[in-house]
Amino acid sequence: MSDLDRAIAQLRACRPIPEAEVRELCHKARELLIEEGNVVTVNAPVTICGDIHGQFHDLMELFRVGGDVPDTNYLFMGDFVDRGFYSLESFLLLLCLKVRYPDRMTLIRGNHESRQITTVYGFYDECLRKYGSANVWRYCCDVFDYLALGAIVLGASNTLPGTPAGEDVEIEVCNPDQQIMSRFLRRGRGRGAEGSPSGNGNGNGVTNGVSSTSPTPANTGPPGSGASGSSGGSVGNPAGAVLCVHGGLSPLIDNVDKIRLLDRKQEVPHEGAMCDLLWSDPDEIDGWGLSPRGAGFLFGADIVKVFNHRNDLSLIARAHQLVMEGFKEMFDNSIVTVWSAPNYCYRCGNVAALLELSEDDAGLGVLARSNGDVNRSTGGVVAGPRGVLMENDLEDQVLPGPARRYRVFTAAPQDSRGMPAKKPVADYFL
Amino acid sequence: MAEASNSTNPDELYPIAVLIDELKHDDVLLRLNAIRRLSTIALALGPERTRDELVPFLDESVEDEDEVLVALSEELGSFIEYVGGPPHGHVLLSPLENLAAIEEPVVRDKAVESLNKICTELSSQQVEEYFIPLVFRLSKADWFTSKVSGCGLYSSPYSKVNEQTQSQLRSSFAQLVHDETPMVRRQAATNMAKFVKEMPANVVVEEMIPMFQHLVQDDQDSVRLLTVEILIAIAETVPKEKQASHGVLLTSLRSLIEDKSWRVRYMIADRFEKIAKAVDDEVVARDLVPAFVKLLKDGEAEVRTAIAGQIPGFCALVDRNTLLNDIMETIENLVSDSSQHVRAALGTQISGLAPILGKQETIDHLLPMFIQMLKDEFPEVRLHIISKLELVNQVIGIDLLAQSLLPAIVQLAEDKQWRVRLAIIGHMPLLASQLGVAFFDDKLGQLCMGWLGDTVFSIREAATHNLKKLTEVFGVEWASEAIIPKVMAMGAHPNYLYRMTTCFAISTLASVVTMDVIAKSILPMLEKLAADDIPNIRFNVAKTYDVLIGVLRRLPEQGTIYTLEKAGTPFSASPKGQQLIDERIMPSVEKLLKDNDVDVRFYASTAAQAATAAPVSGGEPMNTSP
Repeated sequence: MSDLDRAIAQLRACRPIPEAEVRELCHKARELLIEEGNVVTVNAPVTICGDIHGQFHDLMELFRVGGDVPDTNYLFMGDFVDRGFYSLESFLLLLCLKVRYPDRMTLIRGNHESRQITTVYGFYDECLRKYGSANVWRYCCDVFDYLALGAIVLGASNTLPGTPAGEDVEIEVCNPDQQIMSRFLRRGRGRGAEGSPSGNGNGNGVTNGVSSTSPTPANTGPPGSGASGSSGGSVGNPAGAVLCVHGGLSPLIDNVDKIRLLDRKQEVPHEGAMCDLLWSDPDEIDGWGLSPRGAGFLFGADIVKVFNHRNDLSLIARAHQLVMEGFKEMFDNSIVTVWSAPNYCYRCGNVAALLELSEDDAGLGVLARSNGDVNRSTGGVVAGPRGVLMENDLEDQVLPGPARRYRVFTAAPQDSRGMPAKKPVADYFL
Repeated sequence: MAEASNSTNPDELYPIAVLIDELKHDDVLLRLNAIRRLSTIALALGPERTRDELVPFLDESVEDEDEVLVALSEELGSFIEYVGGPPHGHVLLSPLENLAAIEEPVVRDKAVESLNKICTELSSQQVEEYFIPLVFRLSKADWFTSKVSGCGLYSSPYSKVNEQTQSQLRSSFAQLVHDETPMVRRQAATNMAKFVKEMPANVVVEEMIPMFQHLVQDDQDSVRLLTVEILIAIAETVPKEKQASHGVLLTSLRSLIEDKSWRVRYMIADRFEKIAKAVDDEVVARDLVPAFVKLLKDGEAEVRTAIAGQIPGFCALVDRNTLLNDIMETIENLVSDSSQHVRAALGTQISGLAPILGKQETIDHLLPMFIQMLKDEFPEVRLHIISKLELVNQVIGIDLLAQSLLPAIVQLAEDKQWRVRLAIIGHMPLLASQLGVAFFDDKLGQLCMGWLGDTVFSIREAATHNLKKLTEVFGVEWASEAIIPKVMAMGAHPNYLYRMTTCFAISTLASVVTMDVIAKSILPMLEKLAADDIPNIRFNVAKTYDVLIGVLRRLPEQGTIYTLEKAGTPFSASPKGQQLIDERIMPSVEKLLKDNDVDVRFYASTAAQAATAAPVSGGEPMNTSP
């Protein structure tokens, strides 16, 4: 077992690793993260998670519900630290997993991944308490500066696997209770022709496309990358891409490439595009508004729609705001807030959610991913055949959202938190 | 203190001098460390100088932080060997006596503990000469802290001294029992049960029962509740046939049962079985049965929870008729108790009644209760019932159990909370072994397969382990017909998270299937999955190959690793296993080695290593739980 695997095992038991190991881990993580762009490209299938806030045992619950790393691909949208009691263990575990399985794990920066915020909301104090010095906090903050600002998910399927045949289900909400809480059918246009939803017996997942040895070079870059130059008529991915960012949009950012141009390796500034991406919130307003948070902006439905249209996006996934139901879609399903800290601050009583984007039947989910690291994967090779371009694809101006399955879960029960559920009986008599 | 003696090299003594300096250091941490290494200092000084210099020094160092004093009290308890063995052991009493008078209870407790430890090593003469006066000094001190410590020092010297001193000890203890501060009385009550055990029955009757009676009438409930243990100790010492003649015991017992403080009643309820075992049968029938019923109906949920825990233990002591006529009805009422904790406690215990009641009565009385509790809104209650079904099964047989309880099990297996489902999965192999194949296939098979497609990862994982256990129960024939096809079908699921279940299941099942099944069902499926679009599936295939290679290396032509290991028959690997590895597995692994994805390559290389390395004892199911 390598040192890294041992560190992962130790952190999973909620025991911090020694300072020297943290230093080495953070060093490795920085080497890895510096190779990533400001906007990481991620291929479906992927499970998207929102704020964690140091609630380590709830993070474990998340893995229990969603599947373990590396078996399930995860994308965490920031705010790993502060407020909860185990910011250190939570962040270091995620970081270890990122270093161990870089292609299975994506971490992007939240507004709490900053020196100024962590000194106020608990992470700094926690490091000081657990190590007796602020060194570990310093190492972690250095890593924060290298975290990507956003991610683009490509190749997400438009159809949900395992749904009744003939129904084009766009959204499915599952509680952890084996029940489907609700299903939403796709509205309007019949898109049934491409990537037919298939039942269990079909075996599509194993039979389609991979054997094809003729990688068709794409005429355009992946949608959302801005490389196509035009929107709506992209030959790229009929599903459209999903942009993941912690807070939201910025008036200074009108296309995704502008994010790529930022110099992100710094403390989160008090204003400007980088600050806005981590701090903004969607709101029921027209255009832009001042944010009550004192950083970032409020943005309305029109802003989201224009941005999605211009960038060939079908959905923006973000975190940053507590939603009691775990997730909340707004503005005609063009933006969703995902929240993954159940019973936030151990008292809010909310449930948490994961967003699962499944792999595309058409075999588009196999764009190899490189993130700039030559040793990991060969970048840009497309292994599957492109989906046949449908006539109506060109006419559609609003991209259909990818099929989304939300898994709602609740806080880990007391007895799995490693502390006694209630005081022993003998205490009555003291 | 640290100057070199003739026999010792000054260089060696230098660290000791440092340690001794540290004993006086300003920093608490350093002092604490020095105390922890006190034995090293003593060893270096030798027994004589330890007695003459170190112990007197320690004697004066009671003016320190509590933390240091706790450490000191603890160290001194095992210090006899450093002062020259038991003949000199008494020199340690003086510092410990000082520590036993300290205000901080933690320090005193440790000091008392150490004193008792030392006492066991002292000779009778030493005890008479040094220990007993110490006990009396502490017990007669002005301040209650010393007296509290004194209370704990009576039982260990008692058997070592002559009769006269024994009687002095008893009268001194009586004074503590009658002390005016409740703290002292509480401590006396706590230690009395142990003290009683040291004496013959007649002394107990003459002197200890009056003390007990005094404590039972104490106006503090915190004292009264401690007398329950004394009652048990006395009742265990006094022979059962003589108990009846001491009406005091019974009156005390009755008054404790009816105490107005629920904490006292809780204590009684919690120790009910012990009490019932210590008193004679007549008292059980006449007094304890009504008391039991009364406690079952107590107004305080805590008391009911405690007494519910005593149900099978106590009911085994009373005769069947009394149980059925007097007790059963009240127990039945507990099923609909307003407190979920009471119902949960009842759930863990109620099955214990089945062997006591016998078949017919179990059907008449317990089954309706089970059925109602299985519908309880609180899942813990339901789980407790299910987890103890084995006992009931032994009494009424599987048919009856199945008819009445199966619907509830099925309902629980589909419970809304995934942790409840997880718990039920844990009970499945047991249920399966009791229900038999036909019944299982009919009623529960579908359920077990359904879990493979559960929305929660942990359930899917547990389901695969469940399948392995089921295969162990029902055998490989059954598995290849009932399980394998369904597991393989999961491999075609459109969602990668569910396809992965097939990989997990194969790894888990590897040790319970035969060569034939591997060759005909498993390998073709894996070959398909090895070409999956999603890298996560491909590296899980590699992981699975790794496990399979380990198994194939050891697997003979017939039988499975599990059955052969269980039977203890030696077996050797069939060449066919190696052939399968070379012809069916390695080509796939080679392909995976050239995969685009780094994780796939990593796990494929692990599998390739397993295939080329010397045969290993593998076959461990992989652990994927977070």
